[in-house]
Amino acid sequence: MSEKIPLSLTVNGQTHQAFVRPTDTLLHVLRDEFHLTGTKRGCNQGICGACTVMVDGKIVRGCLSIATNCTNREITTIEGIEADGNLSPIQQAFLESGAAQCGFCTPGMVMAATALARTNDKLSDDQIREGLSGNLCRCSGYIKIVDAVRSVCGGDAV
Amino acid sequence: MKLHHPRSIDEAVSLLGKDGEARCLAGGATLVAMMNADLLAPSGLVSLRDVETLKGISIEADGTAVIGAMTNHVTIAEATEFDSGQSVVARAAAVIGHPAIRNMGTIGGAIAHADSAADYPAALLAADAVICVAGADGAREIPAGDFFVDYLETALEEGELVTSVRIPAAPAGSVAAYEKFARVEGDFATVSVAVMLQENDGAIDDIRLAVGACAPVPIRSPDAEQILRRDGVSDTSIAAACEHLAALADPVDDFRGSGGYRLKLIPVLVARAIEAARNGGAA
Amino acid sequence: MSSDTAQYVNPVGQDLPRLEAREKITGRAEYSDDLSLPGMLHAAVQQSPYAHARIVSYDLSAALEVTGVVAIFTGDDIGYDYIGPFVHDETAIAKGKVRYIGEAVAAVAAVDQETARRAVALIDIEYEEFPAVLSIDEAMAEGAPLVHDNFDDLVRTYEADHAPNVMSLMQVEEGDVEAAWAGCDVVIEGEYETQAQCHTYMEPCSALADIDANGKFTVWSGNQSVFHLQANIAQSLDLPMSKVRCVTPRVGGAFGGKMEQTIQPIVVGLTRKAKRPVKLTLSREQDFEMIRSRHPSKVWMKTGAMKDGTIVARKVDIRLDAGAYGDDSPGVAGICALFCRGPYHIENVSVESRAVYTNKLRAGAFRGFGGPQVAIAGETQIDEIAGRIGMDPIDLRLKNAARPDEEWLGGLVLSKSAMRECLTQVRDASDWVKRRAAATEPLSNGKRRSIGIACLPHISGILTSGAIIRILEDGTAVLNTGAVDNGQGSDTVLVQMCAGALGIDVEQISLATPDTDSSPYNWGTTASRNTYMAGRAVVGAARSVVDQLKERAATMMECAPEDLEMRPGGFIGITGVPDAQVSYGDISGFSHWVAHGPVIGSDSLAFDGENFDPKRGFIKGFPFGRIGAWIFAAQAVEIEIDEATGKITPLEVWSAHDIGKAINPASVAGQVEGGVVQGIGFALYEEMVWDTGRLANPSLMDYKIAGTMDAPPNINTILIEEPDEFGPFGAKGIGEPPIVGIAPAIANALTHATGIRLKQLPMTPERVLNALQEKNEI
Repeated sequence: MSEKIPLSLTVNGQTHQAFVRPTDTLLHVLRDEFHLTGTKRGCNQGICGACTVMVDGKIVRGCLSIATNCTNREITTIEGIEADGNLSPIQQAFLESGAAQCGFCTPGMVMAATALARTNDKLSDDQIREGLSGNLCRCSGYIKIVDAVRSVCGGDAV
Repeated sequence: MKLHHPRSIDEAVSLLGKDGEARCLAGGATLVAMMNADLLAPSGLVSLRDVETLKGISIEADGTAVIGAMTNHVTIAEATEFDSGQSVVARAAAVIGHPAIRNMGTIGGAIAHADSAADYPAALLAADAVICVAGADGAREIPAGDFFVDYLETALEEGELVTSVRIPAAPAGSVAAYEKFARVEGDFATVSVAVMLQENDGAIDDIRLAVGACAPVPIRSPDAEQILRRDGVSDTSIAAACEHLAALADPVDDFRGSGGYRLKLIPVLVARAIEAARNGGAA
Repeated sequence: MSSDTAQYVNPVGQDLPRLEAREKITGRAEYSDDLSLPGMLHAAVQQSPYAHARIVSYDLSAALEVTGVVAIFTGDDIGYDYIGPFVHDETAIAKGKVRYIGEAVAAVAAVDQETARRAVALIDIEYEEFPAVLSIDEAMAEGAPLVHDNFDDLVRTYEADHAPNVMSLMQVEEGDVEAAWAGCDVVIEGEYETQAQCHTYMEPCSALADIDANGKFTVWSGNQSVFHLQANIAQSLDLPMSKVRCVTPRVGGAFGGKMEQTIQPIVVGLTRKAKRPVKLTLSREQDFEMIRSRHPSKVWMKTGAMKDGTIVARKVDIRLDAGAYGDDSPGVAGICALFCRGPYHIENVSVESRAVYTNKLRAGAFRGFGGPQVAIAGETQIDEIAGRIGMDPIDLRLKNAARPDEEWLGGLVLSKSAMRECLTQVRDASDWVKRRAAATEPLSNGKRRSIGIACLPHISGILTSGAIIRILEDGTAVLNTGAVDNGQGSDTVLVQMCAGALGIDVEQISLATPDTDSSPYNWGTTASRNTYMAGRAVVGAARSVVDQLKERAATMMECAPEDLEMRPGGFIGITGVPDAQVSYGDISGFSHWVAHGPVIGSDSLAFDGENFDPKRGFIKGFPFGRIGAWIFAAQAVEIEIDEATGKITPLEVWSAHDIGKAINPASVAGQVEGGVVQGIGFALYEEMVWDTGRLANPSLMDYKIAGTMDAPPNINTILIEEPDEFGPFGAKGIGEPPIVGIAPAIANALTHATGIRLKQLPMTPERVLNALQEKNEI
C-alpha cells in the first residue's frame, strides 16, 4: 500500500492541500480530496473528455495527469470558469443554445470550448469541431454545442 | 513508491538505474492510462517534466531538426522550423488522438511505447529519423528502422530513455504527407502511410514510403521505392510497389479492421498520400 | 406576485433554456458519484469469469482479514427473490449460478476504494463450469443447455413458448399471407442481422445507499424511474417498499440502460450488512461488461407487392438474442412484432417474434426498443420493391402509408396518422428528387453522394403517471410528477406545461425532484412517454387546481364558481367584469388562513387507448395491454461514399416527426439531433463483440461512438404539429423515433448509388468495400 505524501496544488487561483498517493491522478485528487466534483470521470482512459481541465491554460486529461506532477502549475477546472457568479461568454452561449442535455460531458466540453475560444476569435465550424473532437457527447449530436461555440468565436476561416 | 523530479538527463538515468521497476513519466497519456487499467504498477516514477534539455525543437547548421523527447505533439504539429520534407513528422503529430492528448503527449513517450498503430513510427521511418537515447552506459543513436522492434517493444535497454529525435534535412524541394485511415476521428490508424517525395519535372528523384499499423513495426520497402523512382507515379507503378509493401506487411485482425482489409487499403492510401504531398500536404 | 394578464406569454411552445442548465454549465450539478455521506464506505465488485457455471462455494476468509473491510455481499445473503419486468428470473446478485462472463458475483464495502478492490479480489469462489450457449442458434438447438433450467417455475406476465431457451414467443396473423404470395407481382425475401449496441451514456452506473435508525434505506442513483427501482430493490432484497426510498440526483444519460436495476440492489445489500452508507461507481469497462446492451437480432422477412405499388403481404420471423436474463426482452420482441410491418396499410401479415436466452450480457431497453432491428429489414425491402417496379421510394411509401382512422395491427385504432405529411415534408426539405438524380454520377473526387429514406411507427405512452400541484401561500406553486429527467429536458417541459395550464410564469413554479416518499407514481422515463403521460397528468392536476381556485374565489367574491374564469397572469375573475378578480396569492392566503384549506391539485392516469381487438386479428403472446399514442417519423440521410475504402460519411439528415405539439421546440430538436447521431453509430461502426462469451471490446478505445467530426454538420428537425386529441396541449413524444430510421436510410442511399445491398449492421468500411468488390467481380 502506498504511503501518502503532502501535496499542494493551485486550482482556480486557490491553494488546495491534501495527503495523496504519489500515483493518484489529478482527477482523483480534484474530486475526492479537494471536493471539486465538477470535473467528471467518464472512462478513466483519456478518451471521453469528461475529465478535461486546464493546466497552464492548455486542456489536458485529468484522468491521465499525475497529481504530484502538477505542482507549480496553474490548474483551472470548471469551477473556475465563472467569475464572481457571472457566466463566461462560452457558458452563457451554452445556456442560450441548449447545448447541455444530461450535462455530464458539459464541464469538459466547456473547458475545451473555453481553450478554443482563447486561441482565436474567428474559427470555422471545422475548426470548432476539431477543437472539441476530444470531448464525447452521447445526448446532443453536437449541433447545439457547435452553435454555442460559433456564437462566441465563429467567423471566417483563419 | 515515489515520484522523482530530476532536473537533468544524468539524474534521470541515475534514478532509473537504481530501480529497475521504475518508469519514466513523460506526458502520461499512455503510462497513466495503463496504470488506470491495472496493466502497470511501477515501483517508482521518474518525471521528466523539469528536465529542460529534453524540450524544444532546434535546427542544426546542416538542416537536421532535433526534437527533444519531452516536446508535446501539439508543439511538433504547429512547428514552423521543419523543412517541407521533415514536416511529415509534424503532419503525423497533428492527427494523434485529439487536442488534449496532443497537449499532454510527448514524442519520447509515444515512441518508447511503440504502439504499431500510432502515428509517429511510420513518419519517422519515412524521414530516416534517428532516435537518441541515454543510459547508464552513455548515449547512443538508433535509426528509426532499428528502434521499433516489435509490438510495444523498442531497442531501448533497461535504464535507458529517449532524449531526442533527429530528423535529417530532406532532399531539396521535398514534399511530404501523412495519410491516415481510421474508423472515427482520433482513433488509432487502421492503416497509415507517410511519404516524402522529391520530384523534378515529373521525374521522381527520391521517394520514401512507410506504412503504419500493418505490422508489428512500421514498414518500408526499398524495392517499392525503387519502382516508383524508376517508373514514376501511376496506377500500375503504385500497384507494383504496393505488392512489395504487402509482402512485408503482417497485419492483424482487430476491431479496427481485418488483416485482409488493411492490405486492400495500402495502395489506396499510398496513392492518396502521394497526391496529398504533391498538393502541399493537405488531404 | 402575479404578472399582468395583458403581458402574459404562455411558455408552452417557447424555446426556454433548461431550468437546470446553469447548474450543469458551471459544474454544480451533482450526479451519483459526486455525492458523499459521513462514514461512507466504498464498494468494489468481483465478476464471473465463466459464461455458465454453478457457484459451488465462496471463501470469504482472506477478504475478511483485510483491514478496513466492513461488509461482503454475495448470493448467500439473499433468497431466490426474483425480479424482472416480464419474467422474474434475476436476483440482486448472482445466486446459485452465473450466467454470463462479467456478471457481478460478490461485492465488498470497505473504508476506501483501494481496500475494497484489493479485498474483493481475494474472495475465492469455486465454480462448476457448465457448457454455455453463445448464440441464438446454439441456444435453440435440440438438447441445448438451459440458461434458466427452472424457467417453467418462474413467474411471468405473459405466455411463453417451450422450446429450449426461448423466453417469449409472440405471434401475429392478419389476413392470409400464404394465399397472398401467389397474387403478388414482386416478392422480396431476405435475412438481416444487427449487432449489440451499447448505451454509452457518459455517466457510468453509480449508486449510493444509506440506512437510517429504523432500517429504512435511501438510495441515490442514476435511474429512469425511482418507482420501478424501489420495487426492484424491495422485491430482490425481500424488503417492504415502505423501507426503500429512491431519490434522484442528476442523471448523466440513460437511453434505456438505467430503466431496470443496474447496481442498486447490490449497494443496498451491502448497506444492509454494513449499517453504513455505501457507494459503488462502476468503471467504464465494468459498465460495458455488467449492465445491458441493445438486442442483437436476426430477422427474416418476406414482402410482396403489386406492380402498381400496393404492398399486399409481409411475413416476418424475428429472433432476439436476449442474453442471460429476461429484462425487457419480451417487450422488445413484442414491439418488433408490432412494428415490423412498418407504418403501412398491409392486409396480410404474419409474424413470429422470439426472445432467446444466451449466456451473454443481458439485452434490454435501448432507445427504439426493437424498432431499429426491424426497420433495417422492413425499410430496405420497401426500397427493393420500389426499385423492382420502377417507383420512387417516397411515392411507394406514400401510396401505402397507414391511413388516419384506420385499424392498425390487431385492431388497435390509429386515430390519426401524420405519416404522409412526414414523408412529403422530408421530400421537399431535402430536395429529394434532385439529390436522387445526382446520385447516379460519381463526384469529381471519385467519391459518390447519395440520399436515402426510411419511415417508421412508434408509440408514446403506456402505463401510468401522476402529478401533484400545490399552491403555496403566496400563489406560487410546487409541481411534483415523479418523472426523472435523464437530460432530455422533461423537467423543463413539464414545468412549461404546468405554467401554461395555470397561466403563470415558469419562475413561479418550484419543481420537486422524483422521490418515492413524496412524488406521485410515474412508471418511468422510457417509451417516449414523459411529455405525453406525465404531461397529461400535469394538465389534469392543473385543471383540478383551477377548479379549487375558483371554488375559493367564489367564496371570496360572493358568487358562484360557474361565474368565474381563469385569467393569464395568475388571476381568477368574474366573467365579463374585467375589474373583478383576485390573484392566486390572495386566494391561497385565504385558503390557508380563512376557509377551504390549501389548494392541492392532482391527477393520476393510465394510458387508456384501445386494447387489441381479437376480432380484427390474431395476436398471441403480446406482453403489453394498452400501449400508447402513435407517433410517426420519416428520415432522409445524405451520405458520401468512398468506394476505394468503403467508408460512408453522413453529410446531412432531415428528420420529420409527427409530434402533435412541440412544447419546447429547441429541446425537441436536441432529442432529434442526439438520436440521429446514435443511429449513425448503430448504422456504421458501433458494435459490441464477443469472443467465446467474453466481451472483447469493453472500452471506449475499442467501442467507438461518434465525436464532433463524425457527426453530420447539419441535422434538420421538421416538426409536424397536428395536435393529438388527448396529448397535453396536443403533444406527443419524441425520444425514440430519431434513432430508428437512420440505418435503413443510409443502407437505401448506399444501394441507390452503388447497387450493393448490405443486410448486416454495422455497415463498416470493410463490409462495404467487400460488397463493392464482389459486385464488380460478377
